Order: sequence, then C-alpha cells, then structure tokens
Amino acid sequence: MNTSVQAADEATAPARSAFPEPVGPSKISARDVSVFYGEKRAIDNVSIEIPKSYVTAFIGPSGCGKSTFLRSLNRMNDTIANARFEGEILLDGVDIYRSTMDVVQLRARVGMVFQKPNPFPKSIYENIAYGPRIHGISGSKSELDGIVERSLQRAGLWDEVKDRLSESGTTLSGGQQQRLCIARAIAVDPEVILMDEPCSALDPIATARIEELIDDLRGRYAIVIVTHSMQQAARVSQRTAFFHLGKIVEYGTTSDIFTNPREERTKDYITGRYG
Amino acid sequence: MTARNDPTALEERRALRLARMQAGLARRYRADTWFRWLGLGAVSLSAFVLVFLLVAMASNGWAGFHRSELKLTVPIRGMVQIDAERLAQPDPLGGLETAGLPAAVKAAANKAYGAGGSDLLADGAWRELGNKLVADPALLRSPQIDISLPASDELASAERGGKPALQATAQKLAREGKLLRAFDTGFLARADATSPQSVGIWGALKGSIMTMLITLILAFPVGVLSALYLEEYAGQNRWTDIIEISINNLAAVPSIIFGLLGLAVFLALFPNLRSAPLIGGMTLALMTMPVIVISGRNAIKAVPPSIRDAALAMGASPIQVVFHHVLPLALPGILTGTIIGMARALGETAPLLMIGMRAFVASAPSDFTSPSTVLPVQIFLWSDEIDRGFIERTSAAIVVLLAFLLLMNGVAIYLRNRFEKRW
Repeated sequence: MNTSVQAADEATAPARSAFPEPVGPSKISARDVSVFYGEKRAIDNVSIEIPKSYVTAFIGPSGCGKSTFLRSLNRMNDTIANARFEGEILLDGVDIYRSTMDVVQLRARVGMVFQKPNPFPKSIYENIAYGPRIHGISGSKSELDGIVERSLQRAGLWDEVKDRLSESGTTLSGGQQQRLCIARAIAVDPEVILMDEPCSALDPIATARIEELIDDLRGRYAIVIVTHSMQQAARVSQRTAFFHLGKIVEYGTTSDIFTNPREERTKDYITGRYG
Repeated sequence: MTARNDPTALEERRALRLARMQAGLARRYRADTWFRWLGLGAVSLSAFVLVFLLVAMASNGWAGFHRSELKLTVPIRGMVQIDAERLAQPDPLGGLETAGLPAAVKAAANKAYGAGGSDLLADGAWRELGNKLVADPALLRSPQIDISLPASDELASAERGGKPALQATAQKLAREGKLLRAFDTGFLARADATSPQSVGIWGALKGSIMTMLITLILAFPVGVLSALYLEEYAGQNRWTDIIEISINNLAAVPSIIFGLLGLAVFLALFPNLRSAPLIGGMTLALMTMPVIVISGRNAIKAVPPSIRDAALAMGASPIQVVFHHVLPLALPGILTGTIIGMARALGETAPLLMIGMRAFVASAPSDFTSPSTVLPVQIFLWSDEIDRGFIERTSAAIVVLLAFLLLMNGVAIYLRNRFEKRW
C-alpha cells in the first residue's frame, strides 16, 4: 500500500521520469479506494493520480481488480447489487461519489468502451446519435448530422460506413463495431474515456487499428485502458499501473515499468513469470 | 521395462480401446437414428391430428354455413298495404307486420304447398322478406316476389332423416328443386336463436371480441409493468420471492377458480353487469396477466447485459435504459407470451359460465355492459342442443372460433416480427 502512494507521488514529479514529455495535471485522483463485492474486498486501498492528456494503462493478472477499479471511475459498479464503495475519487477535484453527484451527467463526462463490442441493435447513425440526443446536446438535425460525422471520423470509421449509416450497427465486423462504440462514446464529447480490454475480442489487424485510434485520441481525452496484453500497454500508454490482488503494486511511466521496474512482482509479471 | 511402456502392449491396449469405442460408436449412432425417428413420429402424429381436426371441422362446418330454404312466390301488390315512407321510419318490420306481410307469406305458402304449407317455413321467415322490402321499397309495387325463405326446423332435419312423416315431403320438394341448401350469409350477422335455421354467430363473435379487448387492455399493461418492475427495479429479497411464487402459482390456478373469483368479487361489486363482456374481460385478464408477467420477465432477462451497460455508460437514466433498449428488445418475447395468454383466454369457457355469460342472448351486445356470450360458450351451448341442425351449426361456430384465433395470432406474430431485432 505504501508503494502505491509512493508511486503516485512520484508520478506527479516528472523530472524523475525517463519519459520525455511532462506528465501534466491529473484529471482523476483516487484516494484510498476500496470496493467490496459482498464480503469480498476486490479493491484494497488504492490511490492513484490519472493524468489529463495521456493514456494510462492498468495491467495485471485476471481477477486482480483492474476492471473493477476502472468501473468505479464512472460508477458503473453502482449497477451491481452487492458492490460497496469506500474512499473518494475526484474528477477535476470534485468527489464523484458525493451524494449530490449526478450519475447520468458523470457518465456523459466519463465515457466507457467495453470488452465485447456492444453496439445498440439500431442503425449506425442512431448508435452515434443516441448519446447527444438523450443529453439534449444537439439542437437541430443538421447539428446532429455533424456530430455523427465528426465522431465517426475521429474514430476512423467514417469512410467505411458513410454510405450505409442506416444499416444496423450489428452488421459491422467486430473491429468496426468496437470503433463504432468508441465513436459512440466520443459523440458526447467526454473528458475521460475508460476502455475495458477493448481489443480482447479482436484480431491483430483490428487491434492495431484500435491502438492507432487510441494514439490519435490521446491529448483530447484522458484515456484509461485495462489490458491483458503487456505489449499493448507498452505500445499505447504513457503511464502504467500494475495491479495485483486488488492493490496497485507499482505505478509509473510506461517506459519505467517495462524497462526498469522497481518491484520484484512487477518484474516477474512483465517478464511472464506469472499472471 | 514396465508393461506400461512396452510398445507391443501399448499397441494392444490401443487396439482394444479402439474396438470398444467402435462398438460404443455404433450404439451412439443407433440412438441418434432412433431419436430422430421418434421426433419425426411425434411431429407427424401432431400434424395428422391437426389436419384431421381441421378437415373434420371444415367439412361439418361447411354444412353449418348453409341452411335449407324453401322457394316461394309471394304476391305483394294489393296484399301488403303500406306506404314506402313508413319503411324509412323506425321499426319498419313492425309496420310490415301490421300491413299483413306475415299473412301474405303464410297464404302464399299454403297455396304453393297445400294446407299446412305455412308450417314448412321457419317461424318469422317473413322477416327476411320484410328486410328485403326495407332495403328496396320499390319492390312494394311489384305484383309478386320470388324468394327463398328458411325452411322450418322439422323440414330441414327431415331432409336428412328426421321426422318420418315429413321425410317424403322433404324428398319430394328437394327433387322438384323447391327445397334447397343455400349458403347462409346471415350466419355471420345474426345472434343466437331457438331454431338452428335462424341462429347466427355474430352475437358470440362480437362478445368474444369485446371480452378479448377488455382482457388485453387490462392484462397487457399490468403484466408488462409488473414484469419490468420485478426485473429492473425490485431488489432480491423475501418479498420479491413471495411475489414471484404467487405469480407462478396464479398461472397454474384452474380457470374455474377465476370464474368464482369474478362471481364473488366483480359481480358483487357490479351486480347489474351479469353476463357483460366487461366482467368477462376482467375475469380473463386475471387469468392472462400471470402468463404475461412470466414470459415478460423471461424476455427481459434475455436482453443481453452488454446492451444495458452500453446504455448506462452513455449516461442513460434507468427509465431511458428500460424504454429505449430493454423494452424494445424484450417486446417480441413479451408478445409471444401475450399470444399464448390471449389464445388461452379466448378458448376459455369455465370461468365465463360462472359469471353468467352462458345466457341465451338473441342479439349481439351493443356495448361492453350489455349481456353477451362468447364463442366457446356458444359452442358449448349449441353442442348441448338436441336438434340435428345444431350439430352442423356447432361445427361452423368452431370454424369461426379457429379462424378468429388464427387471425389474432397472425396479427401478434406480424407485430412480433416487426419488432424483432438481432444483436
């Protein structure tokens, strides 16, 4: 536990890092977060600072709590009946778990992309337009058309689907569906995008496209990605947190974690000795 | 070297294993074939039974849509003294009765078929002529009208072996082409009557339609909302368990119990509404609702959680998740349950007997509170009649019931396919 706090502290001191760019201000600060499923403690006193304009990767073996932690960042764990949360998570300095926080608005600000592509069984257009519509963002039809086009362009999907916007989103290939889900998430212009193993159901080519896309989106959104693939973490992220047994073992710049881990367990995991 | 690693022993063991597997394999394929034939047999049997039922009903029912009619020439000009304007006023048939139309028909029958010839016509046969005159008052000026009027019950059944005394007459008239079987267009427009020659199914059909409407209006929203609440909002605790068990039990309660409930509760509250489609529909709604709740819950459960997650993560509020995503995706399943429930309700007789929908109602119900009967009860009532003519009429009523059922299911299946979405 000590280590995680230490790691977080050091994370805010960019001078130490071998990472060439400065880390910049944090977007999300988690403090002493614990999540319980019934009696079981899935997350144990985790504290972490997530920077504003970089990609942060959570790695770790299955069941280590990284997805649970990710889902607590936009309160998706609220939907699980016996989940209980302790601690605080500050988004721009405001606790998202305080009683006056509007969950609906929070999720418009913190978007999410899931492990399995889950487009709505509606048209491609409707998939993208859904978020702006329910949040009342778009004033007119032409404005909505513009949002749909921009979102699809940003997700690198526009050229592939511009002639068939009225077709069902479920007719696309897996990789296209996942990019559609990313486009859907960015249509409401969130500040943070959470990605829960977005490539685990995709082939290497589709994975490469998503990774490219994540790289393009960096800077515009704070991106947090959970991944099982250490290569992927190394490729797309600038910050990496290693989770094990519900705690953060080590958190630092991605190059540090992969080339110069301080913890023995991190070293064992990234060299494939367990996990 | 142990036996375990001895190459020859290994080969032998492999050969033995393979032989055993081969024997088992044949048995497995045999079981497969057997099962396929059993399944085919079951399907053929049910198809055969269905076809037999349909053919039997259709052939009997076809006769039920016909009736025996007697040809007659009725003199009008000079015999029936009435103004054409009177026919435009209320109760034109009453006017024709006073003007002597029944007597004119009677006289014409006696003239054509000898003394007692008027007995060969059904009671009130003159009304059909009267209706014709009302529809076309210009006929009042014609000297005479050739018309086929319904034969009396006795003559109609004598044609196919009834009263021996009448058999000869019937056969003679039939040979002369004066007694004939004609398609009874009025069967679908009239209500119950004492004579099989003049009964109709419209009264019961309209009663069924009205009852089903009430059932649907009450059971569908209540059932769907209950299913939604139980699946989406209610927590898992002892109370929801008790409610779930109660609903499941309610679906299995014999229908006559619901009839008793309707009698004890609804008719105690509204004693004036005995036999009304409103009460019938309320009683059947009680019976249909649990079926809709159960199928609705299953359909809602089958909506993939990933769709819910996607909508929630987009910032949809719980009610938006339900109405934008869960309900549209669950609707086909809910509709399937509704079809089953409504089909069961449409065929239900017992509970409706309890609340008085077995009354003899000679006119179609005008509104939801007027006395009425329904198709299955009408079938039950007619099948109880002694007169031979009712056997065919019963089959015809069954055909109408089946056709209505098919129509109702067809609409529901069409709606279901329209809403069906794939993910």
